[in-house]
Amino acid sequence: MEFESRYEISRTAEFIRGGNFTKVALQFPDELLKDSVRVASALRNELRRLGGDGNVKDASLFVMADTAYGSCCVDEVGASHVGADCVVHYGHACLSPTTKLPAFFVFGKAPMSVSDCTKNLVDDAVTSGKPILVLFGLEYAHLIHNIREEVVAACESRPQLEIQFAEVLCSDMNPSNKQNTSDQGMVRASVLIDDKSFGKLAGNRGIGGLVWKLREGRKMEDHLLFWIGSDNSAFVNVVLTFNACEIVRYDAAENCMVTDFSQQKRILKRRYYLVEKAKDANIVGILVGTLGVAGYHHMINQMKELITAAGKKAYTLVMGRPNPAKLANFPECDIFIYVSCAQTALLDSKEYLSPVITPFEATLAFNRDSHWTGAYVMEFRDLINSSLAESRSHSKEARFSFLQGGYVEDFDTQENDKEEEEGALALANATEKALQLRDNANSLVKRTVKSGAEYLMTRSYQGLEIHNENSLPEPYLIGRSGRAAGYKDEKSEMGNF
Amino acid sequence: MSFSFVFDSSGEIWLCVLVDVEPFSYFIFVCDTQRLVKMVKFTAEELRKIMDYKHNIRNMSVIAHVDHGKSTLTDSLVAAAGIIAQEVAGDVRMTDTRADEAERGITIKSTGISLYYEMTDEALKSYKGERQGNEYLINLIDSPGHVDFSSEVTAALRITDGALVVVDCVEGVCVQTETVLRQALGERIRPVLTVNKMDRCFLELQVDGEEAYQTFSRVIENANVIMATYEDPLLGDVMVYPEKGTVAFSAGLHGWAFTLTNFAKMYASKFGVDESKMMERLWGENFFDPATKKWTSKNTGSPTCKRGFVQFCYEPIKQIINTCMNDQKDKLWPMLKKLGVTIKSEEKDLMGKALMKRVMQTWLPASSALLEMMIFHLPSPSTAQRYRVENLYEGPLDDVYSTAIRNCDPDGPLMLYVSKMIPASDKGRFFAFGRVFAGKVSTGLKVRIMGPNYVPGEKKDLYVKSVQRTVIWMGKKQETVEDVPCGNTVALVGLDQYITKNATLTNEKEVDAHPIRAMKFSVSPVVRVAVQCKVASDLPKLVEGLKRLAKSDPMVVCTMEESGEHIVAGAGELHLEICLKDLQDDFMGGAEIIKSDPVVSFRETVLEKSSRTVMSKSPNKHNRLYMEARPLEEGLAEAIDDGRIGPRDDPKLRSKILSEEFGWDKDLAKKIWCFGPETTGPNMVVDMCKGVQYLNEIKDSVVAGFQWASKEGALAEENMRGICFEVCDVVLHADAIHRGGGQVIPTARRVIYASQITAKPRLLEPVYLVEIQAPEQALGGIYSVLNQKRGHVFEEMQRQGTPLYNIKAYLPVIESFGFSSTLRAATSGQAFPQCVFDHWDMMMSDPLEAGSQAAQLVADIRKRKGLKEQMTPLSEYEDKL
Ligand SMILES: Nc1nc2c(ncn2[C@@H]2O[C@H](COP(=O)(O)OP(=O)(O)OP(=O)(O)O)[C@@H](O)[C@H]2O)c(=O)[nH]1
Ligand SMILES: [Mg+2]
Repeated sequence: MEFESRYEISRTAEFIRGGNFTKVALQFPDELLKDSVRVASALRNELRRLGGDGNVKDASLFVMADTAYGSCCVDEVGASHVGADCVVHYGHACLSPTTKLPAFFVFGKAPMSVSDCTKNLVDDAVTSGKPILVLFGLEYAHLIHNIREEVVAACESRPQLEIQFAEVLCSDMNPSNKQNTSDQGMVRASVLIDDKSFGKLAGNRGIGGLVWKLREGRKMEDHLLFWIGSDNSAFVNVVLTFNACEIVRYDAAENCMVTDFSQQKRILKRRYYLVEKAKDANIVGILVGTLGVAGYHHMINQMKELITAAGKKAYTLVMGRPNPAKLANFPECDIFIYVSCAQTALLDSKEYLSPVITPFEATLAFNRDSHWTGAYVMEFRDLINSSLAESRSHSKEARFSFLQGGYVEDFDTQENDKEEEEGALALANATEKALQLRDNANSLVKRTVKSGAEYLMTRSYQGLEIHNENSLPEPYLIGRSGRAAGYKDEKSEMGNF
Repeated sequence: MSFSFVFDSSGEIWLCVLVDVEPFSYFIFVCDTQRLVKMVKFTAEELRKIMDYKHNIRNMSVIAHVDHGKSTLTDSLVAAAGIIAQEVAGDVRMTDTRADEAERGITIKSTGISLYYEMTDEALKSYKGERQGNEYLINLIDSPGHVDFSSEVTAALRITDGALVVVDCVEGVCVQTETVLRQALGERIRPVLTVNKMDRCFLELQVDGEEAYQTFSRVIENANVIMATYEDPLLGDVMVYPEKGTVAFSAGLHGWAFTLTNFAKMYASKFGVDESKMMERLWGENFFDPATKKWTSKNTGSPTCKRGFVQFCYEPIKQIINTCMNDQKDKLWPMLKKLGVTIKSEEKDLMGKALMKRVMQTWLPASSALLEMMIFHLPSPSTAQRYRVENLYEGPLDDVYSTAIRNCDPDGPLMLYVSKMIPASDKGRFFAFGRVFAGKVSTGLKVRIMGPNYVPGEKKDLYVKSVQRTVIWMGKKQETVEDVPCGNTVALVGLDQYITKNATLTNEKEVDAHPIRAMKFSVSPVVRVAVQCKVASDLPKLVEGLKRLAKSDPMVVCTMEESGEHIVAGAGELHLEICLKDLQDDFMGGAEIIKSDPVVSFRETVLEKSSRTVMSKSPNKHNRLYMEARPLEEGLAEAIDDGRIGPRDDPKLRSKILSEEFGWDKDLAKKIWCFGPETTGPNMVVDMCKGVQYLNEIKDSVVAGFQWASKEGALAEENMRGICFEVCDVVLHADAIHRGGGQVIPTARRVIYASQITAKPRLLEPVYLVEIQAPEQALGGIYSVLNQKRGHVFEEMQRQGTPLYNIKAYLPVIESFGFSSTLRAATSGQAFPQCVFDHWDMMMSDPLEAGSQAAQLVADIRKRKGLKEQMTPLSEYEDKL
């Protein structure tokens, strides 16, 4: 039965029955894929049992794996391929709102020593003297209720302690049903873009599927954040977003407290650097990192506008999950913006030729009047509504680049407008200019290029070279054979290495 | 500014002028009534009028080794312009206005002062050059002598045409004297020399005439050795000769100075020869015996036979000084009368040193000797620009702009070089200070600002803005003027939000003007600290403050590390200290900052050729790159640094240099794919492949991978230096789609790392050249401190005729923190070091050997940068078949 409870078979079945869904996609992350068959058959049995009266048609179940984007998001596109009318999502989830399909989440149930955790929590509350806000990995959500009870008991003797628990936003979502979801504090795309309804939620805070309400007059910084769970992307997001708060982590797997977050703080500084670097970019690639998270389309458009207004060139690229090799195919891009769910957004690896930043960081970088204040926003809904995106006035001072240590002006706004009118002519001009540049310098001289066309012109190789003068047919040549790992003709000679 | 009248004992009226020298302190300048008349008459309009007389302008810098008396001498000149009274010259600092300058007694920023000087017809009789009347405008820039601030000297030299080289007669020509002199000559700045602190010979050392002569002539000779190498056809002979009047002898502290002209005038009639003949007799191997009244070219051995200089210059001065010092007034007055020197009645009561100063100042006023020397022997802008145009202008030497500069044409297009930014009293704003080389700049003029990265024909680093005000300095006061014509220095208001440090300005419509060449500094910002604000919410203040700091100093660099830390980089410990103080106090309004320990950047290089050809496969395994790394030939990295070899060269010329100087195969020289990092760095990729298909297709990708890898080496992500990567072979997939940038760029990076690691990688550390001057008893202390700091002495020399020793040593920059103070402590303050970045030195310790010094260093750097402490092993980069 342990298996059934971990995968919440009966609740899932109730959800499917309740929604009268007929085609259900079961989405597994790689690490749980091994259990998918058992889950599917258990679920089928359960559904049969529930629909025992016989006149309800069996729901068909599909297992989905190897999602195109982050496995924390609901893969709506994948589900649409089989025409599914709902998705059951297993494992770690970011609870980013979906656009079309209803979804049901099974977080999994990780074990934890409730008493040990409670003891640490209470001890911390006593020593810090600050009000405590408890946040947790969703895989521990099933035990939060127990912890809360123990804490309440422990606090009876110490009434001055103030410990607040965040709540899980929801365990299922349905984008077509407004009432149902907003009752639960669910925020959806249509609501997001509408400022008025957002105002209603202003007192509420949330991150990565957790929500809480701050007490009147309290700021986040007044709290000590107590995170229960592992050091995963959800936690990094918490550290970045609430970087002004004191944060401790209870590692439930190791039963210990972790208080050293220099690594995470370092991430924040590194992001600050990336913002500065992005300011120097001329060509920006927008990576579509999700086709599911509500508001993504709006965000892509917002980014395009932002980039154009900053006088830079934007290219939109759809490539599934990015990796260094894929991005290196676009060496003309000085920087990439990854439009994705908050928990897959931070891609910082030395392996990338050009850095990848988030839409929030892009907003900071490309908006002259916005400054890095330490506030950090990860989720679309917060960004779309932030005032940052609106201010468009131009300050008088030239832009100071901290990478180059001086003023740099990337372009002149007025002149740019003129070029825009000329449209196609501008491209021709740019190409011509780039061509001239190649002519007079025999090797590659470093210069800035402002579009893919200009970049191509600065390359030494620009495509197939067809030599017309040689019209004779080339002699027939025998090609290589064998595998790329070592062709037949090489094997012998390379063997002595 | 406020005035007050004071009556002194003799009943004469004095006027006290209280000048507000914002924001540091107040100075009181006391002027006598006579001089006041001159000053009141002397208005901004008057000054502006002389600015049109381009033949009557002298722009000059005062340059020297630290503490040789530049600022003191400058002050004594200023005295003659009627701003400070002669009496207080030497005691009041006109130039060192910053509190920290006064405190440390050294100059930190260069200061410009415009002096007005009227020559008599008599004095100008022998002047052959062009002139317009007798009035002269002398724009003087006092520069710092400490090597950490030598970028200020560079900036000063750019906007001047002549240099007054000051040398302490006892210490002689020192490192910084040589460095600044070389810099001046490199910019085609004509020098004149003054042998300074003459009073030390008479009072302190009490050397006899012949010995003093030998000392002076050695000083001059040492300077001339340096200058001789800079002779060029346009500039002519740049050496200095006392007998030609291009060397002065001065005691800035006491306000007196002379050239041989002064004495030649005195004696010419007596000997019945003309002045120039007399001057020749007063220097060199010319001896006079009063007994026989005969000149000889050898000392006759008779006790009365003495060298002309000793007989007629040195001894009379010595006599006057001794008479004053001994208060033998009965003897003094007749002597003075004979010299035609009249002393004011109230000054006759002075005693000892004060009397001596007053007498000497009246007899041989420093201002007239030095200013006349400058007027006679330093070029006017109109003369200087004729040959300096080649050094200055980047564009073709026959276009309208170069012609206008060459002719110093006020009606030509504007060509103005902004050499530095000066903080205005208006917090956070700056004046753009520079020199007009052609045309005129006026209030309200719309100018085209070409920044340092401007490329003609492009829009990058280019702004069109209006000048809000044109300002000139009169003493400490700024006066707004309508316009300023070429040949003059000027300060502009309203452009500081577009200029970081330097820029070339021209008229709005002059779209085809090229910029004026960027300045070349003799020091580089090798010492860095990371700064952060104590209170996180002060970040905007820090950002703004760093911007201002970047502007305020010609050398400081404010950048950012990949880790997100703000970095301030300077030439040395002192320079950084001053910068950080300015940052916190002046540019951040006192918001506290935290600075890290100083950090030095290293370079990564290789010791040998890769032990084998290494290979890396692309992510799809379908492409393979084979490479080897080897060290560049000795001197080649430096040649690339200097720009003698680089991506822009003519390939023929490049291959000639490479084959003749570095023994390269001529054909190979044509196969250089690129330089890096930043496309111009001292590493390269050379194609050694034979008959590889599609090779041209992946060249750009390999270059991109190389630019990336050479910027962040495999050891500690420091820049690479002096490595040549040879592409030995390439195997590519037949389908273009499988050999794109995505496959090749990361692979090129990996194979470059692999070849670096297999070629005995080493770290290079920056090394200072230290020069220390000290008396013998301090040598022990110096050696022990140097030893302890991994320094090594390579030259120790006693200065001829002095008890001083000159020590030259190499000292790793990383060991230089606190070196100065340790050294002072170990030598009871007698040794004072000057450090200049000299070269990169290979650390022989193997960074790949666990526990070695280099391995520890690599680990430290990686930790600081937030990288994995362990280096990525070779196996991650190299693939096997
Ligand atoms: N005996 C003597 N001492 C002098 C003379 N001129 C300057 N000094 C002293 O030398 C020291 C340095 O003088 P400064 O004028 O500050 O020297 P500086 O060349 O401007 O120094 P920096 O600007 O720091 O390079 C001071 O203590 C002066 O009093 C001089 O003519 N005779
Ligand atoms: Mg000085």
